[in-house]
Amino acid sequence: MTDEPTGFLYPFIEAEERDAPALLADLAASARGKIADSEALRATTVQRSGATLRAAGEAMAHRFRHGGRLFTFGNGGSATDAEGTAELFRAPPAGRTLPALSLVDDLAVLTALANDVGYELVFSRQLIAHGRAGDIAIGFSTSGNSPNLVRAFEEADRRGLLTVGFAGYDGGAMARCDAVHHCLVARSDSVHRVQETQDALVLALWSVVHESLDGELDAEVVT
Amino acid sequence: MSADAPSPLPDDLAVASLALARRFSAGATMWCAAPQWPAHGRHVAVEFVHPVIVGKRALPAVHVDSVDLVRVTRQLARPGDVLLTIGAADDDRLQALLRRADAWGLTSLWLGAGPRPAPGQADHVLWAEEAEPVTAARSGELVMLYHLLWELTHVVFEHPGLLEPPPACTDEVCITCSDEGRVAEVAAVGDGRCVEVVTAGHLETVDVSLVDRVAPGDLVLVHAGVAIGRIDEESRP
Repeated sequence: MTDEPTGFLYPFIEAEERDAPALLADLAASARGKIADSEALRATTVQRSGATLRAAGEAMAHRFRHGGRLFTFGNGGSATDAEGTAELFRAPPAGRTLPALSLVDDLAVLTALANDVGYELVFSRQLIAHGRAGDIAIGFSTSGNSPNLVRAFEEADRRGLLTVGFAGYDGGAMARCDAVHHCLVARSDSVHRVQETQDALVLALWSVVHESLDGELDAEVVT
Repeated sequence: MSADAPSPLPDDLAVASLALARRFSAGATMWCAAPQWPAHGRHVAVEFVHPVIVGKRALPAVHVDSVDLVRVTRQLARPGDVLLTIGAADDDRLQALLRRADAWGLTSLWLGAGPRPAPGQADHVLWAEEAEPVTAARSGELVMLYHLLWELTHVVFEHPGLLEPPPACTDEVCITCSDEGRVAEVAAVGDGRCVEVVTAGHLETVDVSLVDRVAPGDLVLVHAGVAIGRIDEESRP
């Protein structure tokens, strides 16, 4: 066994191993297991979250129909999820485009806020500037505990935005925070499997929003 | 891929991770290009530079964000570095980079989803073939590819004895003097029939009288100090 922090993930790999073909076989076996874990967690989480996805997606569709805009945020890898999510809504592979802006895109704004008022406020201060009642805020945190996300959700809630949180592990502070109206949790203690599952949840949420918008459109055409 | 054929992905990940760990161990920087999905390029950079598991070493990975990926990567990458491209098989911006990887002396990895690229376009191809190409970018499939690449690369680091590259080729036939042509990128042209090219990361002077007039950035096939053919690029970068 290895003493490396990831040792528990690879109990069958010996640190003294010197045989490249044997290591390659172990790596491939490890990859097979992780791919299966990732696929299973994504499938079960999307299924288990069906009601939340439906409620959040329909509420978002309602706001988009009335001129609402989407703001997304997160830190590190989750910042790239925020960026990718805004992109998915703004420039989707198919279907209508919706107004979405990532609050991690502008480095001048981010670094000015981090330097002058503190990193905890980098998203909430942007929501004070941009957010209006009727808009939507989506934040990503693998732990669910990032202080700047909790502050952003509280500010968004105060200003009348609809809030949707994506968390991992047990949902952390975001799952217990009243300011997070809809919380989608990828229940895993692997940051990587959490992020993969959050991606799948985003895609499912995006689909509900579009189904819901199409449904409303059909209803209007009929009446 | 047929439903009963096992996916090549686990084995491809294993081989790519061993190669990547060896390159990092030798001092490489990994340059990431993802023009279709720049968020994934940034995610790869933060993944390697700032590991999620405390105690894992920080590795140099950079997202190249430019409308002229070829020019910027040519300026920044050094022989022995790694080029990681993320995007669909038909992305000609990535193809223009990958065609030059050998000339620049880079090890190349290509990550993507949907129809697989034709063989030989990159040293390592990590592909989510089953994924729906239009939604793969946000389905969790694409991010899983580089998460696993990161995880397995760090496993290789736990095996220092395997980080040494395999012994250099000791066969009778050596690539520099065999019948094989090498890809070279024209670096500078003069008045005469000789031009400077970059091949396998090194500058070399070659005779171009067998090919049409060349310009800096053109790709040629070089054999024994002579450019024996031009490599056509359907869409010039």
